[in-house]
Amino acid sequence: MALEVNGKTIELDEDGFMVDPDLWDEDVAVALAKTEEIDELTEDHWKVINYLRDYYQQFGIAPMIRKVTKSTGFKLKEIYELFPSGPAKGACKVAGLPKPTGCV
Amino acid sequence: MSVIFSHNMNHQFKTEIAEVFTTLQDKLDFANCLACGMCTAACPYSDVHDEMDPRKFVRMCLLGLKDEVFNDNFIWKCNMCGRCTMLCPMQVDIAGLVRTLRGNFGLTAPGTLQDVVENQVKTGNQMEVTKEDYLETLEWMEEELQEEIDDPGAKIPVDKVGADFLFLWDPREIKYYPLDVQSIAKIMHAAGANWTCSSEYWDATHYGLFNGDDKVSKILLKRIAEQVKRLKVKYVVVTECGHATHAQRWGKNVWLTSKEGNYPVFNFVQKEAEWIKKGIIKVDPTRNPEPVTFHDPCNMVRKEGIVEEPRYCLQKTVIDFREMWPNREFNYCCGGGGGLLAMGSEIYPYRLEKGSLKAEQIKRTSAKIVVTPCHNCFDQLSDIIKHFKLDVKVKHIHHMVSNALVLD
Repeated sequence: MALEVNGKTIELDEDGFMVDPDLWDEDVAVALAKTEEIDELTEDHWKVINYLRDYYQQFGIAPMIRKVTKSTGFKLKEIYELFPSGPAKGACKVAGLPKPTGCV
Repeated sequence: MSVIFSHNMNHQFKTEIAEVFTTLQDKLDFANCLACGMCTAACPYSDVHDEMDPRKFVRMCLLGLKDEVFNDNFIWKCNMCGRCTMLCPMQVDIAGLVRTLRGNFGLTAPGTLQDVVENQVKTGNQMEVTKEDYLETLEWMEEELQEEIDDPGAKIPVDKVGADFLFLWDPREIKYYPLDVQSIAKIMHAAGANWTCSSEYWDATHYGLFNGDDKVSKILLKRIAEQVKRLKVKYVVVTECGHATHAQRWGKNVWLTSKEGNYPVFNFVQKEAEWIKKGIIKVDPTRNPEPVTFHDPCNMVRKEGIVEEPRYCLQKTVIDFREMWPNREFNYCCGGGGGLLAMGSEIYPYRLEKGSLKAEQIKRTSAKIVVTPCHNCFDQLSDIIKHFKLDVKVKHIHHMVSNALVLD
């Protein structure tokens, strides 16, 4: 699987997560959002996406959902409204994080 | 047609296997194979993939064709679902044989499976959740539950010495699916359960079961046994997870001494069924009006005999329950068992080909929801639904129960 964004080929794994998170940029996020059936990324989406990226760059793993809600101020319900397939498979994917290991 | 070269046969091989075989049978029982082929007839996947031929694999082991055995895809591609053994007239433990070969002869598990095992040993849980983050999530879900049902008395107890039982989580419930924590805690609260979580070791899952590393398995099980002792609970309840239930029940008997493993282990669905049956919790099936079918996790149903309890829960909490066929211990594995889900992108198309059988089974019920008390099956079923474009949702038993709960 792969996405074409601005002439770049973005390779995706079997679940549609980025294989190389370094290739992520905002246009890639928009394209990834479309695979999640999110037509438009609003300011609220970006708040979550930017938090996830910053955390990932700092710690090398995805944050706990608890941390996401606390740091962005969104309720869990609101995160599900923003990313219908949920924080792990939806939000982390659009933020360009690789698929988490383990039973996810 | 393949050829067997007599100079490749190593008659010591079956003894080498028997020496390290982790099984409740006599260690050489697998040599009783009659080569009758019932196992291959029983394997749902022998018609999907040519190499899914347990009869041939057992023969290779018994003839001592070592190189062929270790180069055979069967070792990693078998789901260890145990349907073959159930129908074998000699009860040859083929899943056990596969697991023993995976873990005792220097092989490395493919995909991320090996990393998950190492994380689990190193950090105490397979998702590297810190103690602080774990406790904070429990507290958070306690608050959310109190708000949901407007009752400050709803609690998620931690380290409550002398509680009736210790509850073990799947780390993904803590890390990614905290609403599951809320749903389970809601049922516990409605039942007035005297339960506790542990702040130290709380991960029910057990990836040593998949990569076959008995040293790891022993470490993981001992950690749970220590918590049982420390918290002075009467028994352990495992969250809705198939392999964890098998590892915590069967594993006690193979990795712990009878003194260390001197405590009963149940799955949460058994408690849910008991509480409904005794009238301890009240449920209203009209809250779940959509047609529902049930997928039997091999580790829980075929291997651990927890067959009727999940069905009982569904009969009481949904209006329209439909069995898929075949079902109960004859059910087909979803194709994601045995660690295949953690074996990376290479195995993805392969496990989805296996999933074609399950897609057919689900489709024939016309159900809108497929329920399964297992996280591993949950993910494979989600992949199947997406790939085969089925108009179906996946749920756990506790989702249906908590949704049907009538609180006084």
